[in-house]
Amino acid sequence: MSISLKRAGAIFVKDYKEFSRNYAVSIMLIFPIIFAFLLRGTGPSLVGAFGLVLNISFVILTSFAQACLIAEEKERNTLRSLMMTPATTMDVLIGKSSLVFVMSAVVLAIATYIYGYEPVGIWAFVAAIMFSIILYTAAGTICGLFSKTLLEASLSIIPVSIVFTGAPYAGMLLADDFPIFKVLEYAPNIQLVRLLNISNTASTTGDLLKPLLIILAWAVVLTIVSVVLYQRRLKDE
Amino acid sequence: MQFQPMYYDGELIVPKIELNMRSSQSIGIITDLKRKQFLMNQLVNHSQYYLFRAGQSEYMRLTVEELITFLIKVTERNEHVDLLMDYFSLKEERKVKIKDLSSSKRMYVTLLRVFFAHQPTLVLEEPYFYLEEQDRRQFKRILDDLLKEKQVLILTSNLEDALISCDAIYRLNEFGFHQLDIRDSEEDKHEVLKQDEANITLQKISTKRNDKMILFNPPEIDFIESIDGSILVHAGGENYDCALTLTELEQRLLNFGFFRCHRSYIVNLQKVREIITWTKNSYSLRLNTGKDAVVPLSRSKLHELKALLNI
Repeated sequence: MSISLKRAGAIFVKDYKEFSRNYAVSIMLIFPIIFAFLLRGTGPSLVGAFGLVLNISFVILTSFAQACLIAEEKERNTLRSLMMTPATTMDVLIGKSSLVFVMSAVVLAIATYIYGYEPVGIWAFVAAIMFSIILYTAAGTICGLFSKTLLEASLSIIPVSIVFTGAPYAGMLLADDFPIFKVLEYAPNIQLVRLLNISNTASTTGDLLKPLLIILAWAVVLTIVSVVLYQRRLKDE
Repeated sequence: MQFQPMYYDGELIVPKIELNMRSSQSIGIITDLKRKQFLMNQLVNHSQYYLFRAGQSEYMRLTVEELITFLIKVTERNEHVDLLMDYFSLKEERKVKIKDLSSSKRMYVTLLRVFFAHQPTLVLEEPYFYLEEQDRRQFKRILDDLLKEKQVLILTSNLEDALISCDAIYRLNEFGFHQLDIRDSEEDKHEVLKQDEANITLQKISTKRNDKMILFNPPEIDFIESIDGSILVHAGGENYDCALTLTELEQRLLNFGFFRCHRSYIVNLQKVREIITWTKNSYSLRLNTGKDAVVPLSRSKLHELKALLNI
């Protein structure tokens, strides 16, 4: 399948203009910054506070924006029309995902700055954030595919937030009583929290690498699933 | 273009249809909603057919110019956006967001997607339905230019819409698939019936409806059309079957100010309000009746009509 950067770029620009003028959705951009601002004072006393900021932001910004972008195109039948142009499914996905990626990266960078978090290894931190954005973009794509309208897309974010944010945290609390919940240790958001909590003194490359690889594995699996689903769903229409 | 027969509830809905489409030809099929869906669902080959469905909507928050720019880029064409905006005559709406356009203009802009199609055949569902007259004319002009290289199939439920821009028109209904006769009358041999000079002039036109015989005074009649060989007399927004042929009716009604404006139409000139010019070669007559009725006017008959009305 051919991929054209020109077509993907056209979709990027078009979606940027649409998104920035849709205030109901683009207001989500400021929530991570507000969270960072509110939780700034807690400092080191609340372990994992910054991890919480990031994990919530991924769902309400990255996944939500991607799901809305896809669902809105479906709602207006413009996606079907796009399929009849030379633009391929990959062009459309890359155009949309790169917009969401750039927005998430910029907003999270600002949030990190405001919170005042200083990572141990800056590259490990950046890589973890990038993998996570890709992972949540893929989750958003799947949400968008299963919703027909913008309204459904915003509701479909709730299961994502339960699966990727709520459940692992709750599971970790119960893990001492029910060892079965130890599996949730491998959820991407817990791994991200682990990575953020590695302290300066006792860190080795191995410590940093393990959570990174787990997040990367999640991102790869979900991306493949979303691309396959995307192509299958569009064939049905 | 070929359509496979379709069955629905054990009944034949769409017979097997074979359309020999020559290039630069536009064909109209007049049919109902369900059959339109059935036909379009068969045209899934995206490299061959560009489907424009009636439910198509547009990116509402872009301006018209941004939309055209996007369509140029995404279809990888080399046109310049300013030239195209001129060609579409959208100069004034350049900076207007699509959601702020009037509904007719919005539909017109949405229809422009077919201009960017690379497929050799364009299939349009109800293209003229939501358009006002000026936008119809614009879109017909664009479609005529597209026809130089492509084939166009228009699916509509409205005969007047199909008449605007189709070379051949078919009707698809429970009786099957039949071509309508819309050729200009100059081509066919007038089988002029030398009517016997009757001593008494028949004043009434007899029609049938629900097995009742209804007699009309000629001035009551708005227009008469021939569909699939049967004659329909339109009066007061209703239509009635008539057993006479158009040629017979034409001769009877000549003295009452009726005019054969088209091979399949006779119109009461007393009720004509407006002559609509779609392009140089296609015209319609708008009638001054309660219901908004439009009757096609052949090019060859235009001069005759002008002479008759002294214009």
